[in-house]
Amino acid sequence: MHRKWFLRVAQIPCAAAIALAAGQLSAQTGTISGRVVAEGSGQTIEGAQVYLVGMTLGTRTSANGRYTIANVPAAQYRLRSQMIGYRPIEQAVTVVSGQTVTVDFTMKQQAISLDALVVTGTAGTARNREVGNSISQIDLTAVQPPANVGALLQGRSAGMTVMPSSAGAGSGSMIRLRGNVSVAMSNQPLVYVDGVRIRSDGYQRNVPPTGSDLRSGNDIASPLNDINPNDIERVEVIKGAAASTLYGTEAAAGVIQIFTKRGMTGAAQWTVDISQGFAQALPFGPDESEAPPSDTIWACAVVTPCSGTMQAYRDSFPDRFDGLPTRGVSRAGGSSKYLFIDPWLRNGYQQRYTVSLGGGGEALKYYVSGTTTDEEGVLPKDKEQKKVVRGNFSFTPISNLLFSWNTSYTKNAIANTAAGNNAHGLTLNAFRRDRNYASNDRPEIVELMLNQELTSDIDHLITGGTANWSPSVNFTNKFTVGFDLAQIENRNLRPFGFILAPTGIISSRRNSYQNLTFDYSGSFVQALRSGLRGTLSWGGQWVTTDNRATSAYGENFPGPGKPIVSSGGTTLGFEERTRVINGGFFGQVLLDVKDRYFLTVGGRVDGNSAFGENFGLQYYPRASFSWVASEESFWPTWSSAMKFRVAYGQSGRAPGAFDAVRTWENATNGWGGQPAFFPRNVGNPDLGPERTTELEIGFDAAFFNDRLSSDVTWYKRDISDALFNVRQIPSFGFLESQLANVGKMKSDGVEATATYTLFERPSYGLSIGGSMHLYSSEVVSLGGAAAFSLGNFGWIMEGQPIPVIRTDFCVTNPEAKGAAPVISSDVEDCTFGPNLPTETYGVHTNLRLPYNISVVARGEYNGGHYISDGAANAATSRSVRWPGCYEFYTLTETGRASEIKAIDTARCVVAGTRADYWIYPADFFKVRELSINVPIPQRLLRGARSGTFTLSGHNIWKWVNDDFKTFDPETGNNGGFDSRVRSILEHVPPPAVYSAVLRLTF
Amino acid sequence: MRNIGRLCSVLLFAGAVSCDTEVTNPGPVQDEFLNDRNAAAAMVNGAGRALSQGINWIGYTGAAVAREIHPAGSTGSFGITQKWQNGDLTTDDSDVSTHWEQAQRARWVAEETIRRMEAAGPPPTGAPAAERTAYFNQLQLAYLWAGFSNRLLGENMCDCVIDGSAILPQATYFTRAESLFTKAIAITGGTAATIAAQATAATGGRAAVRVFLNKWTEAVTDAGQVPIAFVFNMPYFNIGNDDQRNRIAYAVANTPYRAHTQWNTWHYNYRQATGDPRVPITITNLQGDAAIECCGRVNFWPQAKHPLSQSPIRLTSGREMRLIEAEAKLRNNDLAGAMVSINLVRTNAGTTTVAAATITEAWTLLKRERGIELWLEARRLGDLRRWKAANTPGALDPLESVGAAAHLTQQDLCFPIGRSERETNPNL
Repeated sequence: MHRKWFLRVAQIPCAAAIALAAGQLSAQTGTISGRVVAEGSGQTIEGAQVYLVGMTLGTRTSANGRYTIANVPAAQYRLRSQMIGYRPIEQAVTVVSGQTVTVDFTMKQQAISLDALVVTGTAGTARNREVGNSISQIDLTAVQPPANVGALLQGRSAGMTVMPSSAGAGSGSMIRLRGNVSVAMSNQPLVYVDGVRIRSDGYQRNVPPTGSDLRSGNDIASPLNDINPNDIERVEVIKGAAASTLYGTEAAAGVIQIFTKRGMTGAAQWTVDISQGFAQALPFGPDESEAPPSDTIWACAVVTPCSGTMQAYRDSFPDRFDGLPTRGVSRAGGSSKYLFIDPWLRNGYQQRYTVSLGGGGEALKYYVSGTTTDEEGVLPKDKEQKKVVRGNFSFTPISNLLFSWNTSYTKNAIANTAAGNNAHGLTLNAFRRDRNYASNDRPEIVELMLNQELTSDIDHLITGGTANWSPSVNFTNKFTVGFDLAQIENRNLRPFGFILAPTGIISSRRNSYQNLTFDYSGSFVQALRSGLRGTLSWGGQWVTTDNRATSAYGENFPGPGKPIVSSGGTTLGFEERTRVINGGFFGQVLLDVKDRYFLTVGGRVDGNSAFGENFGLQYYPRASFSWVASEESFWPTWSSAMKFRVAYGQSGRAPGAFDAVRTWENATNGWGGQPAFFPRNVGNPDLGPERTTELEIGFDAAFFNDRLSSDVTWYKRDISDALFNVRQIPSFGFLESQLANVGKMKSDGVEATATYTLFERPSYGLSIGGSMHLYSSEVVSLGGAAAFSLGNFGWIMEGQPIPVIRTDFCVTNPEAKGAAPVISSDVEDCTFGPNLPTETYGVHTNLRLPYNISVVARGEYNGGHYISDGAANAATSRSVRWPGCYEFYTLTETGRASEIKAIDTARCVVAGTRADYWIYPADFFKVRELSINVPIPQRLLRGARSGTFTLSGHNIWKWVNDDFKTFDPETGNNGGFDSRVRSILEHVPPPAVYSAVLRLTF
Repeated sequence: MRNIGRLCSVLLFAGAVSCDTEVTNPGPVQDEFLNDRNAAAAMVNGAGRALSQGINWIGYTGAAVAREIHPAGSTGSFGITQKWQNGDLTTDDSDVSTHWEQAQRARWVAEETIRRMEAAGPPPTGAPAAERTAYFNQLQLAYLWAGFSNRLLGENMCDCVIDGSAILPQATYFTRAESLFTKAIAITGGTAATIAAQATAATGGRAAVRVFLNKWTEAVTDAGQVPIAFVFNMPYFNIGNDDQRNRIAYAVANTPYRAHTQWNTWHYNYRQATGDPRVPITITNLQGDAAIECCGRVNFWPQAKHPLSQSPIRLTSGREMRLIEAEAKLRNNDLAGAMVSINLVRTNAGTTTVAAATITEAWTLLKRERGIELWLEARRLGDLRRWKAANTPGALDPLESVGAAAHLTQQDLCFPIGRSERETNPNL
């Protein structure tokens, strides 16, 4: 019923578009068609924009490089083809009424697109050559995207770190642009979709609002993943304050702007994508053969006589052990290679279907799409069913006014398996084998943990309209209004009779996150004298963020059945509401000398409702300079493009809604149901935003006839007035830390990318490339505050990275063999290193074979950082025979104690083990993507214009350092990707994903 | 076109001049609102809850180190860490900061509540009588929470710090408690029965702290005013919130924790020998929720004194007063008098009487009797430390002393100043 209603509504704009397009047929028109190929290789180019210069008529090439522009009024035109990565090209064309004229383009690859338009971080729109900061433009037109945006962005830009958290269905990814800029506030960059700001932090974790906050799947979903990757045309990434000044307070962590596909004038083009695949967990423990002689089942097998329940179990269920090694397995048949959870792991079937339609007439253009995704996770209850519909429309009522309205709606139903550090969960109880909370590793017992039901229903609407009005060629205005409404309903049920909560517990939580954006920018261009042009830009932005949460909790059900909260003998209710307003204005002047030298000076003034009552407005200046040296007469011809750039800017990060005010709160549930005040926040009337100042210097260059392209950026950040959680003196009663603008931090780094075309022939070609990001950070001053912990052994300490991994106790002779561990509590001894990678290297290669078959491989190394493994400690301290200690057990049991490292003794001897000893260096390399793309020959396409078939695998192989005996450095904790300090808890690491995709265009 | 431009300009101007980023969000209560007399009840409740949490943490961990309970597995949530299992409350261990913080908050909130209530003053004379009596009832209760918070700190913390001070004499906690209890006793104007019961509780509390102040005469005088049947409890609640649950009870509620046991405790042996109802223990065929290093998987025989998450914990009682009287008599070498007092307690508790031939034997019985009577009430560490400092006669059971029998490699008898206090308090 609802679906029919929806389809009818969806038909309205399509019908309108078709009617308008049909209206054009009556005019005296002709058609332009042709094909766009790359010079040298002759490879067809998909997604190139082909349009009539000075008009809005145009289209994009399909997968076979062909295009058609219909209903072109008979006349003479300049026809232009452009595509990121290629030099734009124009040809004259004469359209004759009733005829079709063929215009083919051969485009030359261009490593640096100096005239490509940039939107993000600029006042209005700017050409690449005018921009003094580095900006990553990721063109996704021809990319066969993975299932979510997080995976799509992995390894795409130097300086951008994208890390998932677990194998859980719907799991989001942490994104860092040039590391951390804040220790108290979010470090996720701002995310804009077609100019509309959306929530970038995670959704509420599915956990009861009271009681233990661990009874969950312990991961969080990301609103970013509600966007359909197939709808994305390109992504722009600006990585710091030097570029993000015009976004003001909140933008210090950088900005990611997503541009979705738009319809182009011409015949309607249908695109159908069919994707089938599966997710598969990679091993994350030692091989069974490494298990010690005392390992339970092996011992049972070799000890004579073998007796007791172990032997009885083996005799009763021989199939569970058939073919398995005798060591390193659980009674459920799980192996140490998967920390004994493999009986419950599966190859999660994943399917996705996308249909899109783009086209339109001169007045109205449209792009509509619909996607349905059905993905199983590797854990038995994990499932994500997502549906996304999008409608992008642009309307040109008069020649100098363009309205566009883009809307997407996502409905996502996620089911999760209870995981993470959850004593009622599958992962924890499987990992700990017979020393789990059921004291039993038989499968029929462990499986009882699956009775916990965790479901999350997400509704996400992103809608916004933009009006571009150009009263004259040198005066432009852009006004955007946008609304982002992301809602999640989490239900968490342990039913009546649940093994560890026999009378049952249920919670239902609804979180609503709203962002309302008003954004205006205007610019006026004036030629000042010969070769000198000035552009004055101005504008303002108003963003209201409104977060609301209501939740209900019930426990003690009267009996079996499908309960609701009201079924509980005890029920409780909770509510939270916060609203934050940020408003600001900016002005900017750009001086353009000879189209080669560009100087930009500007600034922004901001107010924010979270600032303290004594704090006024905040001013953020910016300046940048770029020089297109390659257009100088003296520049050597072997360098086809060279732009030097330098940028300076500031932006900020505001405190939270309540941080400035001294408050008390009713303690959770009061006291025995009666209200009870607890001190909450000391308050700080002087509280303001932290201010990040960034300087970056770099160049974008191309050499040897564009065979080699490269960009290099050095940056330096200073974060003043940093918001630190200043710990309060406990004997003064307020136990919560208070934010204060007391800190100073700094970071610097170098980003570099290079791509080299080894050879480019009509039937084959090969290019290789790499990227590098070297990063260091330091807390310069705590402003007199004491060093403080962010949890998970992450600390903020003077002279150390942001944050540094530090423990209370540590082993000072970790590698000493046969020696007792020497334990120190000295802070210097027990300070390890940063929690975020300091070195990131990416490699990629693109091999093109005959028939335009292409093979793409991308890999990424992250290193220099440390992570705590809380799961290993929780197990060993409970005397679990932990696979991470297999070497220790074996050496102990075989009389080779002299070979045992002191660190292993500290970790594996139960009496002395502490979480402090389980810190690893977290270096790893992963193959992010290996894919082969095969164009389908035209003769096999019946009725389709073009087709491609792609086989791909993501994160299919990994290397970790020798210390990493269990889990994976990308395994997260209970906080998911929002966790301020990454650490490992009882999760299955992110899996490999394999897919086969068929794309057809009609 | 010009009209559109004008319209846009007007709209932009209107938008700019109407910019107001001031927002008041609901939820947390601004500090100044608590100066209102009508906020007093919720503040007193806050002080009570804070104290209940403080007792929860100190009572549980202290019980493990004093071997009122034996570890049975879990080391994380609701568990006993390896260090505590060994009897180690090391200063550098940030885990013990929680105990300090909870107890200090309890003290500060109660004292702040008193300050604000007294600043606001009682309702005017013309106000409804119920309002005036409620005010005095609440004020007296605030004094009680403040007194018992100071007693908790004094009995369990190694050092004294008040409101960010330098280290003060440890007895400061007790002198403050004595003063607070004295003020509580002096309050009138509330509901007669409530005021009387709370004054008796304050008298019992004052007797206990006077023991630590070595004011035995005054302690005995106070104790004498508390009838043997009198009990004043700290309530706990099972309403879905872990912080309000009796932590000792919840840690053995098997949902999923079976973190401690009475296996290998003298309480178990005593219970088996005497059947004393004050030491109830549940015998199960389960084992602890994990293996422990000393002993592997151990029998899960949980205490049943606090059988439920909502089981209260006594703060003072008439039976404790009789034991104060007994100890005072032993100090005066009054063996017979001491045994009479001890046996009054035992008879009242429904168990057999005991006899001692010597003062030393009587001391041993007294120490055991306080261990039985005040079992799992966050009191044992204070007693052990007090007796050790005074070098009193009488032996302790090997199962609560350092050694292989109790699986204790050391036995710290107090909690250190929390690491968080040491790292933030400039006066330390």
